[in-house]
Amino acid sequence: MWRKVLGICLAMSMMLLLSACGSEETATYKGEIDTNPDKGLEVMGEHVTYDPNHLVNDGKPVELEWWLWDAPDLFGSIAEEYEKIHPNVTIHIVNNPWDGFWTKLPLALQKGKKGPTLFNVHNSYQHLLLTYMAPYDIDVKDLEQDFFTAKSHEIDGKIYYIDFGIMTGAIYYNKDMWAAAGLTEEDIPKTWEDFREVAKKLTIQENGKLIQAGFNYNGEFENLMQSISYQYGSTLFDESGTKPTITQEGQIKAVQMMLDFYDKDQVGDKDFGTDSAQSFGQGQSAMVYKWGHFYGYMNTNYPSIPYGTFEVPVVDEDPFAYDRYNGESTPGINKNASPEQLEAAQDFIRFYLANAEKQKSLCMNYSLFPANNALREDEDLLKNPAIQAVSEHISDYIWPGPMPATLGDNLKIAGQDIMYNGKSIEKTLKTAEDIIKVDLSNMDFVSSESLYHKYSQHK
Amino acid sequence: MFKKKRALQSKSEIVLRNMVVTFLVAYMAIFMVIPIVIAFAGSFHNWNPLNGTYKWIGLDNYIRMFQYPTFWVSMGNTVIFCIVVVAFRVVLGLGLAYAISSRMVKSKTFFRTIFYMPTVTPLVAVAYVWKIMYNPQFGLIDNLFGLNINWLYSSKFALPAVMAMTIWKDFGYAVILFMSGLLSIPGDYYEASGIDGANAWQTFRYITLPLLRPTMILVVITSLISYLQAYVPVMVMTKGGPGTSTFLSSYLVYDQAFVKYNFGYASAIAFFILIFTAVLTLLSFKLIGEKS
Repeated sequence: MWRKVLGICLAMSMMLLLSACGSEETATYKGEIDTNPDKGLEVMGEHVTYDPNHLVNDGKPVELEWWLWDAPDLFGSIAEEYEKIHPNVTIHIVNNPWDGFWTKLPLALQKGKKGPTLFNVHNSYQHLLLTYMAPYDIDVKDLEQDFFTAKSHEIDGKIYYIDFGIMTGAIYYNKDMWAAAGLTEEDIPKTWEDFREVAKKLTIQENGKLIQAGFNYNGEFENLMQSISYQYGSTLFDESGTKPTITQEGQIKAVQMMLDFYDKDQVGDKDFGTDSAQSFGQGQSAMVYKWGHFYGYMNTNYPSIPYGTFEVPVVDEDPFAYDRYNGESTPGINKNASPEQLEAAQDFIRFYLANAEKQKSLCMNYSLFPANNALREDEDLLKNPAIQAVSEHISDYIWPGPMPATLGDNLKIAGQDIMYNGKSIEKTLKTAEDIIKVDLSNMDFVSSESLYHKYSQHK
Repeated sequence: MFKKKRALQSKSEIVLRNMVVTFLVAYMAIFMVIPIVIAFAGSFHNWNPLNGTYKWIGLDNYIRMFQYPTFWVSMGNTVIFCIVVVAFRVVLGLGLAYAISSRMVKSKTFFRTIFYMPTVTPLVAVAYVWKIMYNPQFGLIDNLFGLNINWLYSSKFALPAVMAMTIWKDFGYAVILFMSGLLSIPGDYYEASGIDGANAWQTFRYITLPLLRPTMILVVITSLISYLQAYVPVMVMTKGGPGTSTFLSSYLVYDQAFVKYNFGYASAIAFFILIFTAVLTLLSFKLIGEKS
């Protein structure tokens, strides 16, 4: 008897499975129907504008999935505000951890309609995502007028994502240590030469043992090296924008200067606080070179440490560039989403880009200098020390383009080989350059350095 | 009646056998053979499954592999890592197993448990704890021995530091295997050697060691295979650094495949490791197994 029952169950399961395989999926969305195109709301934005007084998808329900790796509440609040205007659109926020996000997302996008309609982008993964992305349905000129970095994201006359804010490096200093060394605001150095003197004053040694590092760049070798070499006018890529050039005079001088901090000036040590962020937070290092997200790191992990920020010092009064920057990007749109989803996604992106207030919240959260020109002079943003530090010379910061990870990774390895393994600067940088060259030969990467307004002055 | 029952039993056995074999064959095909074939084909392509790139490039990945400086560094590190860790695992495992098996030692279960504990502790957790212990400023090791060494950032000490952690983590497994090997040696041999007047060393050298050879082969071969695949300790403790001082070949595969998404190149390295592992395994069989 039980065999018969089992047989019937198996047959039914097979039928179910087969019917599932054969059926064509049709897009059915749940939610409200919107019948009111007149929302009574004002048009938002300067050049990229958003008029809320219309129906999306003819007011019929549509659902979107938006993949993130961070801040679901903050991004979710943008979705909520949009859903209030268009109640027929439901945006489901899906937050994945950063680790694994860049494997999961492309695989999900390969599923076409089943993949997320919207997804946050990091420009270093552009090479993985671009084949799945739909260009923004917004006039490129309007985008360029509102967002000062938009031009650098133009690909064949189309824009697939832009920056809502940009991040760069600055020097963070411990205010208590600064005061204890008899330093005041007047002593904030503008050049590396002055910086080295300040760092010496902030260094404490007892019986030949380092107690307090005046300056600690451990773990930031590759970032600081790029910063200083740009100041000297050495770009990371050749004129074609495809081949790395990290063995130029500027890069070698930059590395030598960094080694001199520790070896000649003895203001720090490669073995003292191997994680400079932790070392600064634990009150062992007086100054560190960090990018904007360090502000959030300190507030979360070491809120009691009083610190200030100043712009990265320069090699001379008129550097080629102060530092490089990198953008935090607006979402991408899945080009294989259903027509209903694509319409809603394009409308949502326009809302997102015209909404300066929401961009401001994002910039505050990540300590980013806003890419939206309307927010440049925003007082609240300028109160943030990381933003304030870079605001004066922001146009003199360069973006090398959506650099694949191989450049940073190999410069990091080179840094460790030079600092910890005692290898020669020239040979190590050459090895790194060769490896990066091979890695890039398999990618369609072209640097954006040539878009920089002082590019013709590079050496 | 009897015959009929036997026939039925035999039929059910055949069905069961067929089911089990089918399951195993399917399992091996899905999780071993097909991925290996796909990876082998991929090793001749510029392959990035995440953006759909799959372009035939012939032997370029293999040529690039032999020209890539990090590849040779990682292979050198892997050989050193395997030799040292396997040697320590065998010597420590055998020594401790022999000591615990001695009649003079009481609380055998206690020692067995203590020695086996690191083996059952998650590797990632162990690696993190050791990473903290190696910290030059607040780590236990420098403070305990009054040293001033930045273990994980020194090209001299980083690889030995990772090896020390791995030895500590894994020696317990060898202890258990050698203990079971020692227990399986018949007592008659020891009685006979005692009658012949053999001392402790002679008994160990001429009775215990030869009879433990099958266990030794098992420990060495399984250790070699697992250490040629080791990448977790490196990922947690050093990320291959300083420079490329602790790059192991499997970490290079991981780095190329899952960090840089060069799946074709990673597959080429993986195939080289596969052949290398097969050769080393055969050599080990030859060297240790010959006399047995």
